[in-house]
Amino acid sequence: MLQSSTYLLVNFFAVIICFIASFDKRVQFYKYFGIFLISSTIVAIPFIAWDVWFTDMGVWWFNTDYTTGLIIAGLPIEEWMFFYCIPFACIFTYYCLDRFFDLSWANVFNNVIVFITTIVCVVAALLYHDKIYTFVTALVTLGAILYLHFIAKRDWLGQASFVFIILMIPFFLVNGVLTGSGIETPIVNYNSQHFLNVRMLTVPIEDAVYGYSQFMLNVYFFTLLKKKYSDKKEIKSALTE
Amino acid sequence: MNFLIVIVVFIAMEGATWVIHKYVMHGFLWVLHRDHHDHSTDGPLERNDLFFVIFAIPAILLFYLGVQQGVNYLFYIGLGITLYGMAYFMVHDIFIHQRAKVIKKTENPYLLAIRRAHKQHHKHLGKEEGECFGFLWVPIKYFKMYFNKNK
Repeated sequence: MLQSSTYLLVNFFAVIICFIASFDKRVQFYKYFGIFLISSTIVAIPFIAWDVWFTDMGVWWFNTDYTTGLIIAGLPIEEWMFFYCIPFACIFTYYCLDRFFDLSWANVFNNVIVFITTIVCVVAALLYHDKIYTFVTALVTLGAILYLHFIAKRDWLGQASFVFIILMIPFFLVNGVLTGSGIETPIVNYNSQHFLNVRMLTVPIEDAVYGYSQFMLNVYFFTLLKKKYSDKKEIKSALTE
Repeated sequence: MNFLIVIVVFIAMEGATWVIHKYVMHGFLWVLHRDHHDHSTDGPLERNDLFFVIFAIPAILLFYLGVQQGVNYLFYIGLGITLYGMAYFMVHDIFIHQRAKVIKKTENPYLLAIRRAHKQHHKHLGKEEGECFGFLWVPIKYFKMYFNKNK
């Protein structure tokens, strides 16, 4: 019984502390729950589609001993929840750190970050175009970073990247368990033909890179909608005065 | 040996930067570089920033070919170019143009000389007039200026 809830518990523990802390009066993140739901859904749609596609192709598969058994479009329900639980913890962390600390010093590295990401992703995509997980991850990350820097012209790439580095600690805990750290067999298994097989502990390096692009896009849509929401509120209060 | 290649490329990049800066950026691609001088573009990003995508291309090709040939000298040339690029951003964005308010009050003569020379370069808003196209290496007179002052 407990074993079949493993993945569910991973999601639960990822989210629970952040969820409770959202109601702290210094934080008041609960005000943005609606905005978070919309922004994370926008990001989740393409990423879940990617997940469904790769699961269907056998790039990775799930050990159903660790899941409750409800499967939608080839993905266990826990995997669907993953696309809300993990972004929630990440966005909550970003929101708090940004609110209580001045992280703008990290933004001087924007150009360097984009420069290095471009080189690494293009070289990886060229070299490993036959390994589909590596290839798609490199292209998605490249696209996300170039879009944010040159088209959306966001100036927070440095500070978001800094927060992502901090988030690597819980990331390793969560993804570690999913990929087999501390449990008998992995919950998520990978076909070694389709990725580099470079693992940090048990976590494939592609997971960290893809997590980076997913995180950056979540920050983008969340901050975008949050700003729209607060602008609207300002106009409203100005009109009623 | 590989380490040597990286160092030599890094140094050679200073020369390449001078040539590219003087004859390409202030030449036929002035259209991209102009807003770095006259600030004609609004916002945090300059059209000039597109140059680093252009400069990433040779590094990408060298890394790719180098790895394909079993991580040979081409890879290390690419590494030298990349490291120079990183040094460029660090010094140019952070120190000279003060995108971050750090190391503002330095008394290091080398850093002061770089900043002075770059200012000299920026004094000219037009394409044709120009001086001090180099970057990490600047004319001796600027070094002298600060070394003498310290005496």
